[in-house]
Amino acid sequence: MSLLTMTGVSKRYGGVRALDGASFELEAGEVHGLLGPNGSGKSTLNKVLAGTVNPDAATIVLDGRPVEIRGPRDAAARGIAAVYQQLSLVDSMTVGQNLVLGVEPSRAGFVSNRASAAEIDAVLERMRRGLGPGVTAGTEVSGLSPGQQQLVEIAKAVLRKPRILILDEATASLHRDQVNLVFEIVRELTAAGTCVVFTSHRLEEVRTICDRATILRTGRTVATVTVAETTESELVRVMVGDVAQPERRTATPSTDEVVLRVRNLSAPGVHGIDLDVHRGEILGLGGLQGQGQSELLLALFGATATPSGEIDVNGRRVTNSSVVRATGNGFALVPGDRGSQGLFMQRSIQENLSIVSLRRRLLAALGISMRKERTVAEDAVQRLRIKIGGLDDPVTTLSGGNAQKIVIAKWLLNEPAVVLLDDPTKGVDISAKAEIYSIIRELSSAGVAVILNSSDDVELAELCDRVVVLYEGRVRTHLVGDEITSENLVSAALLIGEGDQGTVEEQPAAADGGAR
Amino acid sequence: MSAVPATTDRTAARLRQAARNPVVIASLIAIALVVVGQLVSPGFGSYNQIISMLRIASFLGIIAIGQTIVILSGGDGIDLSVGKVATLGAIIGARVMDGTDANLAGGILIPLVVGAAIGLVNGLGIVYLRIPPFVMTLGMLGVVQGIILAYTGGTAAGRAAPFLTELVNTRWLLGAPGVLFLWVLLIVVVTLVLRRTRPGWNLYAVGSNRTAARLSGIRVNATVIGAYVASGVCAVLAGLALLGYTESVFLNLADDYTLPSIAAVVIGGTLIAGGVGGYLGSAIGAVVLSVLQSLLTTLNMPESHRTIVNGVILLALLALYGRQRKLRS
Ligand SMILES: Nc1ncnc2c1ncn2[C@@H]1O[C@H](COP(=O)(O)OP(=O)(O)OP(=O)(O)O)[C@@H](O)[C@H]1O
Ligand SMILES: [Mg+2]
Repeated sequence: MSLLTMTGVSKRYGGVRALDGASFELEAGEVHGLLGPNGSGKSTLNKVLAGTVNPDAATIVLDGRPVEIRGPRDAAARGIAAVYQQLSLVDSMTVGQNLVLGVEPSRAGFVSNRASAAEIDAVLERMRRGLGPGVTAGTEVSGLSPGQQQLVEIAKAVLRKPRILILDEATASLHRDQVNLVFEIVRELTAAGTCVVFTSHRLEEVRTICDRATILRTGRTVATVTVAETTESELVRVMVGDVAQPERRTATPSTDEVVLRVRNLSAPGVHGIDLDVHRGEILGLGGLQGQGQSELLLALFGATATPSGEIDVNGRRVTNSSVVRATGNGFALVPGDRGSQGLFMQRSIQENLSIVSLRRRLLAALGISMRKERTVAEDAVQRLRIKIGGLDDPVTTLSGGNAQKIVIAKWLLNEPAVVLLDDPTKGVDISAKAEIYSIIRELSSAGVAVILNSSDDVELAELCDRVVVLYEGRVRTHLVGDEITSENLVSAALLIGEGDQGTVEEQPAAADGGAR
Repeated sequence: MSAVPATTDRTAARLRQAARNPVVIASLIAIALVVVGQLVSPGFGSYNQIISMLRIASFLGIIAIGQTIVILSGGDGIDLSVGKVATLGAIIGARVMDGTDANLAGGILIPLVVGAAIGLVNGLGIVYLRIPPFVMTLGMLGVVQGIILAYTGGTAAGRAAPFLTELVNTRWLLGAPGVLFLWVLLIVVVTLVLRRTRPGWNLYAVGSNRTAARLSGIRVNATVIGAYVASGVCAVLAGLALLGYTESVFLNLADDYTLPSIAAVVIGGTLIAGGVGGYLGSAIGAVVLSVLQSLLTTLNMPESHRTIVNGVILLALLALYGRQRKLRS
């Protein structure tokens, strides 16, 4: 008998059918993938199961008995815990406080099922490898990177000892070694009979961890497959139909011409960085996450206090002392956390798309032409294939991947000369990823300098002509061309961590760019 | 299940949305209040009576322009000094005008500059000294009170210019005084500025997410400071209109307008957390409060009861809006 079945799950938002009679079925002790393109209803289905969304219709059978899940507490009482796509920790509270937040004391009133301090320490210790040495129950959440916060969210769900654990793109902002840690924990849980519902756009992860997978398309279940018996291309075909797989970077005819030249850049979290991005080249930032990649991008973008150093764009010295100036100098940043840094959640999709580039389309500050804004926004939506209800809907109505595309689109509309990307395809589905990759390549061959930070090694390998590996805010290693493989990236990141540098060339970026 | 055509879906959705729109709700409440007034006291809903209630509403409405902008700017934005600033504007205006049209221009411009300066100080303190808006503007209220006492020596002098009095008190077109037309013009202009200019869009962005606004190349500090300057200017504008209404000034002329101005914004559906809302709602909120006030007066309700009824209605509306926001998801 299966642990849980859901059938005929439907949910409509206004005119949008998020779920249209979807169904799926879970066994105890399995990892069940929930796959599908952006906006196919994965998160909505997860939320119905976790009690945070009220479905219009649904039949849920748990342990052979029909049940109704009336709310998050109801779900928790039935042993269902969820980690959502958006970070939901309370910033101003400590890790420990967040971990017990929302856990109700049991009915009897005496025995509390609140996690004890010992349990909290144990789970943090279990996560130590991914969290880094500094994070304890007393650490305030606001100081943690998105990846660390994500791990804390997972710890929070694990602490509740769920029978069904939902991980909705919980690995999207995690680096490979952190993902492996999560997988270890998942395997421990499933060995003890827990069922894990796993959603991710990284097929590789799905193939590693999932036993079976249910595939959604436009709110309907199209197939349930046994992962081991299904090839990757079959999976992709069921999910999105036939798409051109993102091909590996073709060696771009790189020139000696330096588009972006950075010398001795220092800012909080980064020290003495030298970089050169040549025309037609995409520069990647590698290393363990949290080694200064995001800080480097923010510093280049004028968003951190008092950066020092020199930045030249096409031979012209620029001073990015503030974001306003950096934007004026043609810089664009797609930041690491779309919710807190990239989007105006309650505002319309239209405004979110227009806001950065608005000034280009105005004569004075006055008189926005809605017709012009609409055309521009519609073009962008089409170009990035963003799935939206209407331009006037608030961004909160978008699925995670589509929201991410809005952040990318708003900067593209500004026609930047230097594009800084901090994990830009986080939560984006494969076909859209291919789309974004080709846009990035187009930008780069059109002479735009592109710097890409990614938590996904495969992505770095696929896109970048050169990768600098960061460690503690310094450039430690360069990988060039064919050296950029997942294996090399991991070992470069880890070797450095063990203080074993010098195995890879250690020359300034300037020296090798043109030599290939 | 999927037989419902998408178009009816859309229309129904749109209708449901309209029924939840605070501007619509507030308008319906205003109309309902007038109807109730007409029932209990025939003549309450007469054209002249309505015009006169709208005239009273315009003072509150003009103050609420600034309050709306400040609240929209987010970061717990609020301006508790508006009432006092309006009073100060009227006091300076009266002194400069001194009852003659010859001094009209100075009598309007000088108070406006003072209002802008006060708003600027509010904004600078909030942005650069990181003083919470509540505290900063409350402090400013005290400072302005001091300035008023120092400036007047305890007795206000001067008189409104005749033109100003005429603008507010003389029926002009369609039996309505000029100040009503001015207000309608302001409603249109402010709404256009908010919805169709870059500063307007920036204001919403800043109110909705300051970090994202900064990372989008928006001048967040300038936008916030600008909001408080606008609030100071609008408060003075309302103070001057009120001066036209009363002709001579009192030391506490507009002091009691502060809390109603916040209430009007809230009734109009602007999110107190910032980033969502607009001025049309606040203007209708001002009408609701003014009609309610005259209704309670008509009913001969004692002041204490009036205050309670006012408060209860505000809380009821807030609860209603809050519930709907939850229902939406
Ligand atoms: N609160 C909401 N209001 C309106 N529409 C919504 C809302 N939440 C989701 N939707 C819509 O429902 C559809 C399904 O969204 P959902 O978040 O479930 O997709 P998803 O499969 O998780 O996608 P992603 O991979 O991008 O996270 C989307 O078209 C989305 O725009
Ligand atoms: Mg999702």
